[in-house]
Amino acid sequence: MNKVVKYSILVVVLGLALYTSVNIKPLDEIKKSKSDLTFNAASYASDFMANKIETLPAINTSDFLANISDDLENYAEQKGRKLGISDEYNFIIEGKATITAIEEEYVSVLLEDNKELRIATEFVFGNAIRDGSGMANIDDYQNTMDFNSISVELNNIVRETVVPPFKKKAKIGDALYFKGAVTIDITNPEIHGTKVIPLIIKFND
Amino acid sequence: MRKTVFHIVVTLVLVLSGCNSRNEKEQGPKKMAVVISTLNNPWFVVLGDSAAERARELGYEATIFDSQNNTSKEAEHFENLIAAGYDAILFNPTDSEGSVSNVKRANRANLPTFCMDREINSLDAATSQITSDNFSGCVALGEYFVRKLNKKGKYVELLGLVGDNNTWNRSKGFHSVVDHFPELEMVAQQSADFDRSKAMEVLESVMQSNPDIDAVFCGNDAMAMGAYQALVAAGKADSVKVFGFDGAKDVMDAIKDKKISATAMQSPRQMARTAAEMADEFLKGKRDFSKKTPLQVKVVTQENIDEFGVYGSDN
Repeated sequence: MNKVVKYSILVVVLGLALYTSVNIKPLDEIKKSKSDLTFNAASYASDFMANKIETLPAINTSDFLANISDDLENYAEQKGRKLGISDEYNFIIEGKATITAIEEEYVSVLLEDNKELRIATEFVFGNAIRDGSGMANIDDYQNTMDFNSISVELNNIVRETVVPPFKKKAKIGDALYFKGAVTIDITNPEIHGTKVIPLIIKFND
Repeated sequence: MRKTVFHIVVTLVLVLSGCNSRNEKEQGPKKMAVVISTLNNPWFVVLGDSAAERARELGYEATIFDSQNNTSKEAEHFENLIAAGYDAILFNPTDSEGSVSNVKRANRANLPTFCMDREINSLDAATSQITSDNFSGCVALGEYFVRKLNKKGKYVELLGLVGDNNTWNRSKGFHSVVDHFPELEMVAQQSADFDRSKAMEVLESVMQSNPDIDAVFCGNDAMAMGAYQALVAAGKADSVKVFGFDGAKDVMDAIKDKKISATAMQSPRQMARTAAEMADEFLKGKRDFSKKTPLQVKVVTQENIDEFGVYGSDN
């Protein structure tokens, strides 16, 4: 009799131990929680483009052009942002201008002080927006590809939402306000020309 | 009594000689270990030699260890380095995941590790990680590729080792540009493991079913040379454009001779020297290092080749 009680208690204790130590969850739930932890570059970029660019500090384009032609290296060091060890500096600039030409890859504009600039409409690539704005720090990303994906998504948004209405509406002679990102290589400033990746384009109606 | 005196004397001699050897270690030069994934590839030999050379210039004793692309061998090196009292490790990992535990072990032993060229998937293990900005380099290379092909044509992509982060950072950078041009069609994407002979074999096989390609994009220069050899054998070297990545001597020469269109210049020398200098700063007390330090990669073309030396030398 004693043995039966003893074994029954043992079985109950073992059963309780097993029940509390094993936690069974549906596989779908596990997969979902894992994907929730995965970095979502698209939503990060989308939030930035929707909520941050209006208030993003920008350099007056005429000042920017004057300074880079005066003393590019010092100016880039002081006002530009770069990634790691690099000769490429990124800036956010803004200004008022008038459209002078519409080409396959860009729209040329003339600034109020008669300086020329190109706004990219086809080759919207690279890290000018991410690095020029300083919106992300590489040290926060365990996998560098997540950090790179931010640039890809930012450029996609520009390509899909900023460029099409700009190209559709643009006519030679139109006056506009622009804010955008630009990359300059201090060893060869002509590599990129002064090509702006547009963030905001507003026509003067 | 005599025995007791003898034992005391022996003990004293041993203790004092121990103290003496410790003092000698403190007075002698500090030691940096250079642990390289494989020395069976000239690119990594330059990386290892440059790191050791810079460490010696800075006054350290430097020794190079070859992990032979084997994470277990790498683990052995780390155990030995910790036991041997090294002061810093300049480290080129064999595997972005598998090498994390080795770096963490060194970290627990207060031995700082500076990763070179390849990153590990951890932000808190290495003191800093100095790598090429592969993605941005291939974005720039992709833009050049698109322009050289006038935005249309058929091409083949030869990938490096599929388990290497660099393979995918390069491929994704390239595709982040090229995929936006619908008239550029990728007819095949295959791995050739960063290997010249394999690249030749793979491209020969791909061309049997796709004889009318216009370009080949390769994840490194060894594969670009293999692809070029395959094109020469097929009599298509003049009509198909080849693009590589690294800045290796044979490809730089081939660009000069108009055989290869372009490559992206990595600098193992600058990467290694930066790692050694950071380790030196750490050992002199600096602690606020950026966790990741990417190095710019520049596109080398037939138009700008004269501005560059091999592997980012001082030229």
